[in-house]
Amino acid sequence: MAEEDTKHDYPDAVDMPAPSFWPMILAFGVTLLLTGIVTNYVVTLVGFVLSARAAVGWWRDVIPHELHEEVPVRHPADWAVPVRTTGRSVASLRVGAAHHRMRIPERVHPYKAGIWGGIAGGIAMAILACIYGQVAHGSIWYPVNLLAATVLPSISQAGETALGQFQLVAFGVAVGVHTITSILVGVLYAVTLPMFPRRAPLWAGFIVPLFWTGLIAATLALTNPALNDHINWIWFIACQIAFGLVAGFVAAKTQRIDTMQNLPFIERAAIESQWSEKPDGKGRQ
Amino acid sequence: MASSATQPVETEWRLPDRGTVGIISLILTEISLFSIFVIAYLFYIGKSLTGPFPKDVLEFPVLATICLLSSSGTIVFAEHALKHRKMAMFKMWWAVTIVLGLVFLYETGVEWHDLIYDKHLTIATNVFGSTFYSLVGLHATHVIVGMTFLLIVFIVTMRGFPIHTQIRRVTFLSWYWHFVDAVWVVVFTVVYIVGR
Amino acid sequence: MATVDYPLEKSRRQREFSLSEALYSWVATVDHKRLGLMYMTSAIIFFLIAGVMAMVIRAQLIVPENHVVGPQTFNRLFTMHGTTMVFLVGMPIIAGMSNYLIPLMIGARDMAFPRLNAFGYWIFLFGGILLYFSYLGANGLFGAGSAPDVGWFAYAPLTERAFSRGTSTDYWILGILVSGIGSIVSAINVIATTLSMRCKGMKLSRMPLFVWVMVVDAWMVILALPPLTAGQVMLLFDRYLGANFFNTQAGGSAVLWQHFFWIFGHPEVYILIFPAFATVSEVVPVFSRKPIFGRQAMVGAVVAIGFISFGVWAHHMFAVGMAPISNIFFATASFLVAVPTGVKIFNWLATIWGGKIRFATPMLFCVAFIFQFLIAGLTGVMLAVTPFDWQLTDSYFVVAHFHYTLTGSFLFGVFAAIYYWFPKATGKMLSETIGKWHFWLLVIGFHLTFDPQHILGILGMPRRVYTYAPGRGWEPWNMISSIGAAIQAIAIICFAWNVIRALIKGERAGDDPWDAWTLEWTTTSPPPEYNYETDPEVRSSRPLWDLKHPEDPDWKYE
Repeated sequence: MAEEDTKHDYPDAVDMPAPSFWPMILAFGVTLLLTGIVTNYVVTLVGFVLSARAAVGWWRDVIPHELHEEVPVRHPADWAVPVRTTGRSVASLRVGAAHHRMRIPERVHPYKAGIWGGIAGGIAMAILACIYGQVAHGSIWYPVNLLAATVLPSISQAGETALGQFQLVAFGVAVGVHTITSILVGVLYAVTLPMFPRRAPLWAGFIVPLFWTGLIAATLALTNPALNDHINWIWFIACQIAFGLVAGFVAAKTQRIDTMQNLPFIERAAIESQWSEKPDGKGRQ
Repeated sequence: MASSATQPVETEWRLPDRGTVGIISLILTEISLFSIFVIAYLFYIGKSLTGPFPKDVLEFPVLATICLLSSSGTIVFAEHALKHRKMAMFKMWWAVTIVLGLVFLYETGVEWHDLIYDKHLTIATNVFGSTFYSLVGLHATHVIVGMTFLLIVFIVTMRGFPIHTQIRRVTFLSWYWHFVDAVWVVVFTVVYIVGR
Repeated sequence: MATVDYPLEKSRRQREFSLSEALYSWVATVDHKRLGLMYMTSAIIFFLIAGVMAMVIRAQLIVPENHVVGPQTFNRLFTMHGTTMVFLVGMPIIAGMSNYLIPLMIGARDMAFPRLNAFGYWIFLFGGILLYFSYLGANGLFGAGSAPDVGWFAYAPLTERAFSRGTSTDYWILGILVSGIGSIVSAINVIATTLSMRCKGMKLSRMPLFVWVMVVDAWMVILALPPLTAGQVMLLFDRYLGANFFNTQAGGSAVLWQHFFWIFGHPEVYILIFPAFATVSEVVPVFSRKPIFGRQAMVGAVVAIGFISFGVWAHHMFAVGMAPISNIFFATASFLVAVPTGVKIFNWLATIWGGKIRFATPMLFCVAFIFQFLIAGLTGVMLAVTPFDWQLTDSYFVVAHFHYTLTGSFLFGVFAAIYYWFPKATGKMLSETIGKWHFWLLVIGFHLTFDPQHILGILGMPRRVYTYAPGRGWEPWNMISSIGAAIQAIAIICFAWNVIRALIKGERAGDDPWDAWTLEWTTTSPPPEYNYETDPEVRSSRPLWDLKHPEDPDWKYE
């Protein structure tokens, strides 16, 4: 785009397609052709004649060669002002730069860490819950049955004594629900841990468990009325925090792995193309 | 500005021909149009409340089909001859293509005359009539349009127009003609095989 | 024809026949910029006509049992309002914007098929005139007929000869069919232009997002419009030749029309929103001083929306009683659209995030677009839930939803485009002060008009009723809605004043008033007939950035 007007290196004229009114006549003819349906066949006839004439005129515009007219190029004084470089230099965003507002987890915990963290946290939570059952109600099966009531409504109708007894079905259900939930939350921990703003133990161990305790408190009357009736909130919160601390600790202990967040899409998708050739191998996010 | 030129612009710069892109887009939009008529035909198979029904009145248009499909071959021969400047061969094969197309149209006309006057099937008789005449008629309309262009090329060539300067446009016309043929394969399958 | 002569001076000879040079130069022009402006001007005129219809509709509904217009006139008003807005405003704006901008953005001198381009414009215009001629020409039952009154989607069997006497429905069919030819022609032209006319270095990977979105839009047009044409041809056969496509008495199916219409109709609504996507993808980066976030993802999202849009049509038909499996399929497919759409919204937000934002009028319209389009998308997801749709289909909730997409999103996007590219097209700046009045009045008017309509829908007000009885709790919401419509009208008057004022005594724009990055800003405003004196060459997706910042050009990273 370097345009210098010292040497006369631009064309004197540019070939542009010549104007033609035949397209307009053809459009009018086709419209009349169809308008005949709602008016009178004479309109169709006129439309046909116009279309045919316009088609012939059009063809003679483009055959054997498309008609051009030479448009003289303006004097260089009237041209666009050449694009000037701006005096300002560019402050490009670099990962890790000071005051960088973007927080990209460059290195993350593997999903495996989440699974192990979830299992460990789940065990810690279960132990604490069983201690609560033994201390407060004299039976370690008490919290197990309450958890199973989420799925088995029959338990919620059972009395206080039944809640303290071992029931095989309830035990199976409770273990299943507890395992799945623990692992899912553990994986969520592994994914979100690197993104917590500072003081990860505080967030993972206390604040996040308190958040979901609030969520559970708001919905428990609908999801598990039996538990809602019998819950001891202090112990419940303690159980959640135990989970958070253990799961967060186990997940945080694992080796982090590199993400490919700062690689361009093409490289992440492992597509070989001309776009993957890069002068300095650094993508701009 | 000099520094921005350090990165060389691609020296080789090739783009697809605009006519090719245009004609392919046109054919795609036509495919979309035909597919709706084909869907309507398939949807209404067996939904007619009164006769005549397809199995009573439809016969395989064997001659018409052979003519139309072979015209796709002859137009290729004509094109080939034109590319090698064998004008006599071009005119001969082009004329054969036109004759084959006209035979197809004639056969369709005979079939329709027979259906309307002898077998009393019109577009208003039942849904079979509506879908049959509209689908086959839409295809025949395309044949007529193609035929018009074939005739124009033939007439101007016979009058001494240097048609070899227009090889690109002749090629596009032949693509359109192939498309019309391909549509006939679909129409034939749907109307005369599936529909019966 | 005996002696075929093809003299090159023919164009000069034709000029001698012309009545007046000026008129001739517009009527016979094949210049993409002039045709683009003609498209936009015609679209704005039709927009004003359809806007006046909307005002009459809102005036009729402002209080219960009102008598501004009668039921027949009301039916014609909403039919013509919808038909005009979709086919004579939306479609020509797409054609106009792609015509004007695509050749400039890809460094070409004209469209691929300049004469075809002119044909497309004229046939659109004549189709529109034919539709409006129905007010004079369509003599219906007892001479009472006038404009079409069957709704913009013209459901069978209401459109059959037995129920729609006279020729008003035929005018609807023919007017749209004719202008549809123009849309298809212009779409083919856009595809051929973008694929075959790019300047040196303008690889697909470097093409501006605007061009990308518009070319996907053109693909959707050429695949989605023919089903409508096919359906309309069948309807014409039904009405004139006694065919039985949609005649249920003879085994025909009225539901089939709905399928055909919405196979066209749903892609069509994405077709209409795409110019807004295209504009926002250009305007937001320039006014945030940042490159667009996730360029490839933006392109991928647009292509994905294009594909998915062909598989969701029957979510307009949950209430007709399809098989449960169809309901589930179309509901799921409709949810799927939310994913690429979400990608786009997040990427626009990520582009704004951390940017050095300038709130000029184009940017204001874009920000409002993102917000309103998000709400439109959310109510869209709600309506895709089949049982929810059963409750609210054909209610004012639906009206509010699609006006959020078409007014709140499409129209805002188009206004952003007009404020952004008007300086390029005319060489004059639109006033920022009047522009801000226009923007804020339109935002306030828009929300006053259409927010209450969600509530009206939930309260059970059906769409298309010409009046309603008092005492159902609808009165205050209708009152607010009509007041909002009046405020929108004032906003549009501000816009018209702004344009006229700028054309007469607008400030000179210069070549590059916004400090932008795409190729069209390297030429003068307005560009010369040939666009560029020398063929441009590009090295990245932001060629002007490379020139302005030689120390840190984009091609280092792409």
